[in-house]
Amino acid sequence: MAAYILRRLLQTIALLFLLSVVLFALVNLAPGGPLAGQGQSRHVSAEKVELLKRQFGLDQPLPTQYIIWLAGNDWMKVDVDGDGIKESSGTRYGILRGDFGFSFRTRKPVLEEIGGRLPNTIYLMSITMLAAILLAIPIGIASALRQYSKFDIAVTTFSFAGQAIPEFWLGLILILVFYAWLKNPFTGQPLLPSGGITTLGLQGFNLGDRIEHLILPVLTGALGWVSWYSRFMRSSMLDVIHKDYLRTARAKGASNWVVLYKHGLRNALIPLVTLLALDLPYIFSGAIFVEYLFAWPGMGRLYYQAAEQRDYPVLMTILIIGAATIIFSNLLADILYAYLDPRVRYE
Amino acid sequence: MLETKRTLIFLLLAVTLSSSLLGCQPQSPANATAPAQTSVTIVIAEDPPSFNPVITDTGYDSLVMDLVMLGLTDIDENGNVFPELAAELPTLENGDVVQDETAGTMSVTWKMRKDAQWSDGTPVTAKDVIFTYNAILDPAKGSWIPGIDYIDSIAQVDNYTLTINYNAIFPGYLTQFGGEQVVVWPAHYCSAEQGFSAWDCAREPLSDGPYKLEEWVNGDHMTFVKNENYFDKGKPSIETIIVKIIPDAAVRKTMLLNGDADLDMWSSEQMIHDLEGAENVQVSNSPDNRWVMRIFFNLAAKGATDPVATPHPILSNVKVRQAIRMAIDVDTITKEFFYGLAKPNWTEFFRPPYVCDNVARTQFDLEGAKALLEEAGWVDQDGDGVRECHNCGTAADGYPMEMEFITYSEYGEPLELTQQFIAEQLGKIGIKLNLTVVEGSVLWATAADGGIEQNGNFDMDIWDEGYAGIDPTDYLWSYYSAEAAVPDNGYNYGRWENPEFDSLLDEAYTLDTQTRHDAFCKMATLLDEELPQALLFTAVNASVHSARLQGVKSSTNDIITWNAADWTLK
Repeated sequence: MAAYILRRLLQTIALLFLLSVVLFALVNLAPGGPLAGQGQSRHVSAEKVELLKRQFGLDQPLPTQYIIWLAGNDWMKVDVDGDGIKESSGTRYGILRGDFGFSFRTRKPVLEEIGGRLPNTIYLMSITMLAAILLAIPIGIASALRQYSKFDIAVTTFSFAGQAIPEFWLGLILILVFYAWLKNPFTGQPLLPSGGITTLGLQGFNLGDRIEHLILPVLTGALGWVSWYSRFMRSSMLDVIHKDYLRTARAKGASNWVVLYKHGLRNALIPLVTLLALDLPYIFSGAIFVEYLFAWPGMGRLYYQAAEQRDYPVLMTILIIGAATIIFSNLLADILYAYLDPRVRYE
Repeated sequence: MLETKRTLIFLLLAVTLSSSLLGCQPQSPANATAPAQTSVTIVIAEDPPSFNPVITDTGYDSLVMDLVMLGLTDIDENGNVFPELAAELPTLENGDVVQDETAGTMSVTWKMRKDAQWSDGTPVTAKDVIFTYNAILDPAKGSWIPGIDYIDSIAQVDNYTLTINYNAIFPGYLTQFGGEQVVVWPAHYCSAEQGFSAWDCAREPLSDGPYKLEEWVNGDHMTFVKNENYFDKGKPSIETIIVKIIPDAAVRKTMLLNGDADLDMWSSEQMIHDLEGAENVQVSNSPDNRWVMRIFFNLAAKGATDPVATPHPILSNVKVRQAIRMAIDVDTITKEFFYGLAKPNWTEFFRPPYVCDNVARTQFDLEGAKALLEEAGWVDQDGDGVRECHNCGTAADGYPMEMEFITYSEYGEPLELTQQFIAEQLGKIGIKLNLTVVEGSVLWATAADGGIEQNGNFDMDIWDEGYAGIDPTDYLWSYYSAEAAVPDNGYNYGRWENPEFDSLLDEAYTLDTQTRHDAFCKMATLLDEELPQALLFTAVNASVHSARLQGVKSSTNDIITWNAADWTLK
């Protein structure tokens, strides 16, 4: 197993390297560029374009830009004032030495930009996922145990609807209902806030306030997951119920509870755990629509903004982190699967 | 084995849980003040990148900059320049501007007010202005502002007086270190080592304006409190301004209706229309709007940039351009797609201080447009509904009148409907348009980045543009001069070249406003006859605000917070 993991890790490094080349090329070669105007300015003046190219390092050929992005330019001379003479050493260290560059938009280090957003996204997404799992597993089990019952049919209908309803629509409707229409009968304030993480100006940590702010975004974000996981749980449970070992368990006189939960559920959960591990990257990447609608300062919004405004360094960093988490989640899923299912062995 | 499995599942849950607790750290520092009694909330779509709009001109940076920092001057909603850090405006009349007509140079002496202070108590002096100039000028870490290349030197006369020597006549001198974008930066606080384009003081600014930044939670909100050291004692009357980042326009609208927001900048036609009649909401319209919706005609063949060697097969004939303008029903567009909030406009010179009324509006006339096309040699002989060239002189006989018509996506539905409507109307006179919608960053990218406009990869485009501030000369140069027709040199995307226009432009580089006015009005006639662009209408420039917030003045010349010091609460 250890040898297997080591081999997979080595493969991962090669894969990441390859991915970084492809992503860098794709991001840079996509139509449009960071030197177009932003916001209200349609254009950047020709004088400024020259300057920005130099400050952003876009005056270098693409392969050189990649090398600088990867390994920095402190070991080479660069022209910083545009007189054509390479007079001083560069200041970039490259991502291999932890320098992800600075945002074209804010001129702040990319890691600082991401650092401000990542905790918010992990906070929202992990609670969303957790809520989804805690809802989906019982629903799935109940559905499977009472297959084709009214409950099962209702759940099936609901989960198809849940997967089909677009998040941005659902979110807006929820805001309309719980923020604009319904009022708290005691205070006259809106029943739930329209967005944000906490109430502005609140002193310290307030659990009630946190929960109020979580309800709508978690509901919006979790609906799709609940539908998806509960369907999965249902079919996985159905598979297990008809297995011989359950019959054996019943035959040896185990109670229904023990049969279903000790022998049935544990085995039915194996595929779900794998699926969960594969979905782990979402905890880091966030959900664009939920963050956008509920003014949640997270990674999804940062990514969208960076893509829209061609903020290459931010975009590249998010993409690379995203790629890495996906690769590692896959590895994690494989390892978990081997642990949970003794029949699976890696050589 | 069972134990291991259980442990693993627990581990997974524990990781998830602990990471959520990690995110639970309080967002705002514990010492954040409770909301003050007089507090207003501005809702905007994006975080400002910094407090320095010269670096990334998003408008959001101007919004927050205007709350905390001052330039030498600023411009009011009617286009009048007024002093901020300056004690008075330097003019030829008061002797502070000295012109050398023979050499074509000038020098400007600025006298600054002596009671302005940074929020740490340090006085704002001429040193700060010179520091700002040098920081912008730095070739490695600096930036660029209009007219900076015209400055030969800046000399400090005393603590509050400085003289700027120009190597040319620069009519925009009054707002060079002021207006919507440029402010004076504190020499004792900002780091020249970090440089103008990246310094920390653009994110943690030292204030000399009406407010100072108290807290900035990235992507969430910014809190501004009254600056006790602001020179205009007794102002501002509102103690706290909160800028909240609310990306979705529908949510911003609901917050305004619910009374949780007081001001929305750049309100869309849709928002203004939806909020009409709401009791607790008012609209502030600017007297004029800067942005003119217009069609750019490519006079060079698609994909080429030389209008002489490779003229456009259809659009290089001015009669065709006139016919297109004549076939567009602007009144219907403004009424149907812009809720009657847009105003028809047909000239660049429609707002103070340079208004030219010597150009008449072209009337919508489909028959007249058809006649013009026939005259130009475009006839539909094969009866397929699309005209083709028959002795048109610009293309081979039989060449169909079919073109690509591009717009950008960020403006949204009203513009896309306009694009479709125009295509429909031109279809009626036998011009077939194929519609494309692209991102602004693709449309306006540099030639090297594959920008559609810079590379001339279009036939006709529609989008909105207009000049900032009150001096149109640089803008006119960049859109209409022959020099600006060179890719990446300017934005003369249609490659229209006219020596008469270029010499009128030279005439306009003077301090004599009458001469300037005359030159501009001659340009207006020329642009109307030659029609390098067809100007259609100005969309709305307005902000929606709560009824309790008084004194909000939308302005074409600056962002909505330009007069925040004068706002009051009812």
